Amino acid sequence: MYQMIALYLTVFFEFLLALAFAFVYGESKRTSKYGPIQEKGYTIRKYYFIALIAVMGIATYLTLDDLPYHSAHAKETASAETQVVEVVGLQYYWEMSEESFTVGDQVEFKVTAKDVTHGFGLYDENLELVAQTQAMPEYENSVYYTFERPGTYKILCLEYCSVGHHVMIKEIVVTPEGGQANGI
Amino acid sequence: MESSIHPLAKKTVIYYLMTTSIMLILMMILGVLMLLNQGEMITITPIWFYKIMTAHGIGMVGIAALGGTAIMWYFLSKYIKLNPTIFLLNFTLSLIGVVLIFIAIFGFDFSDAWTFLYPLPAQSAQIYGIVGPLMFLLGVLILGIGYLIMYMYLAKRFIKEYGGLGKTLGWDYIFRGKKGYGPPAAVVASTMVIITNSTAILAGAIVIIGSIINIIYPAIRMDPMLAKHLTYAFGHIFCNATIYMAVIAVYEVLAKYTKRPWKSNKAFLIAWNASTLFTLMIYTHHLLMDFAVPTWMLIIGQVFSYANGLPVMVVTAYGALMIVYRSGIKWDFASSLLFLAMFGWVAGAIPAIIDATIVVNHVMHNTKWVPGHFHTYMGMGVIAMILGFMYYFNKTEGSIKHNRFDTFSISLYFTFFTGIVGSFLYAGSISTPRRWAEHMPEWVLSDQVGAISGIFVVLATTLITVRFFTGLKGVVNQPNSIN
Repeated sequence: MYQMIALYLTVFFEFLLALAFAFVYGESKRTSKYGPIQEKGYTIRKYYFIALIAVMGIATYLTLDDLPYHSAHAKETASAETQVVEVVGLQYYWEMSEESFTVGDQVEFKVTAKDVTHGFGLYDENLELVAQTQAMPEYENSVYYTFERPGTYKILCLEYCSVGHHVMIKEIVVTPEGGQANGI
Repeated sequence: MESSIHPLAKKTVIYYLMTTSIMLILMMILGVLMLLNQGEMITITPIWFYKIMTAHGIGMVGIAALGGTAIMWYFLSKYIKLNPTIFLLNFTLSLIGVVLIFIAIFGFDFSDAWTFLYPLPAQSAQIYGIVGPLMFLLGVLILGIGYLIMYMYLAKRFIKEYGGLGKTLGWDYIFRGKKGYGPPAAVVASTMVIITNSTAILAGAIVIIGSIINIIYPAIRMDPMLAKHLTYAFGHIFCNATIYMAVIAVYEVLAKYTKRPWKSNKAFLIAWNASTLFTLMIYTHHLLMDFAVPTWMLIIGQVFSYANGLPVMVVTAYGALMIVYRSGIKWDFASSLLFLAMFGWVAGAIPAIIDATIVVNHVMHNTKWVPGHFHTYMGMGVIAMILGFMYYFNKTEGSIKHNRFDTFSISLYFTFFTGIVGSFLYAGSISTPRRWAEHMPEWVLSDQVGAISGIFVVLATTLITVRFFTGLKGVVNQPNSIN
């Protein structure tokens, strides 16, 4: 969801930006005295500044409530107690204490690494990144996720860890409640 | 006070620009090779892919810094007398650094990316030997020392000429109610770069020296999180500083072309002070997915990354629009590229600000969204400024004139650069990871669009570079004419 919001917002704002530059370019061949332009420009800038502050303020207010750093991020739709899964990243594979899950499972992935820094990226059946955290030696990061759909999920390495970085993939299976995932 | 550029400095500007333009084409070709491989149009082995990736990353950052420095030195010479030996020394140390870096990569298989995230170099040293990582780190260190010496020298000159860095940041006008205008825009911007980039280089030096010691004596270790902070404080600020140096060309050239002054009024000075502070603070947005970092520090990363967009959006880019509006400006290669570069800067800042939102970063960090944003910022911002300056330099110091061929090159460059960054941003929105040598079938189409766009960008840049070298002929024998 956030990916699409990011894309559409970027396209929208860049379109507005392109319009502003195109408008000024279109007006650039005419000449007027700079003094009145500055006066008017500074007035417009005041409102523009306030509008930007407002947009950024609203975005901050809306988004800081949903930080992925604590379990509340996944609890709303969970149907059971949190299941703790130990995850260790090594060049170029993942070790996990549990690899099969059921829809509705709320999982706390406790992620670390033994050699270098890796990136724990959880991808769903449609290859959409749904959660991530860094896998660092000497540190443990907990990322929470509640499985809502059955299927084969993938864990991809998202921090460059040398020449086998792109083969550092692990598949995990999420079965429907009381059944099996498609094709499994 | 206006001065003229020292003949040796002018010659050195030419060295900087020649190196920048040739390296730019080579590094672009490396970028296209990576996209062709990801798009399954050619086949490169992973080890070669990652070596190319490392060279492309460090090479592009290096040339952006070189080009930015040439701009900064050239225009500062208008206002204060500078010793060109320091300028030449920085160039020489940069070259030594670059040679070491490229030998490390292509001679000793160093492929740990330009961000050399500790303890990866030490880990790789166990497989490929210690020479590659040591040579790479030493190369970056030497390069950094060159910049640090230059910044210390400039700081000394500013202190002597203006009475202190507080004065060159306009604190008299901001805090003490002094009326009128502050120092020239070039001096204000350079002060910001001196403060932020010196800090960045010191942070980088600590992590580089720590990594070197760790490679030689593995028992001596650093805290990986501390190392990561230092690495991103260095990398993020160093990259940011390239545009803050290059934007001096926008201030100087657009003001000259429109015959309108671009003076450092109070809003301008506040904006640059804010940029100085925010640029030092916001590197933590690279650590938003390091949950072990205190949450307050990560929230600072988000909030101040937003805030850091304000100075450019409200003051610099807006100022560029205002100065051009109904100015009767003559559009040529320099004015067009510098105007478009301001668009590129803000256009690159928008996806960066969005990605600095923690909930967004949670599903977009280290996807191709990230190179999408910084390729916009670097390619359509910093590099566009440097290319615009190259033409301006040839025109001011020589006799080059804009022709229709130049209009074609600029259009080609910007049209297809939009294709590259569009393909990256789209790839990021479908969760394509960055820095992967081989891609899944779902991701290949966007790579192919990026690769084809990249080929045309290389073509456009080659045309621009040929024009630059042709124009240099007229520069060599001309008297100095910086004003």
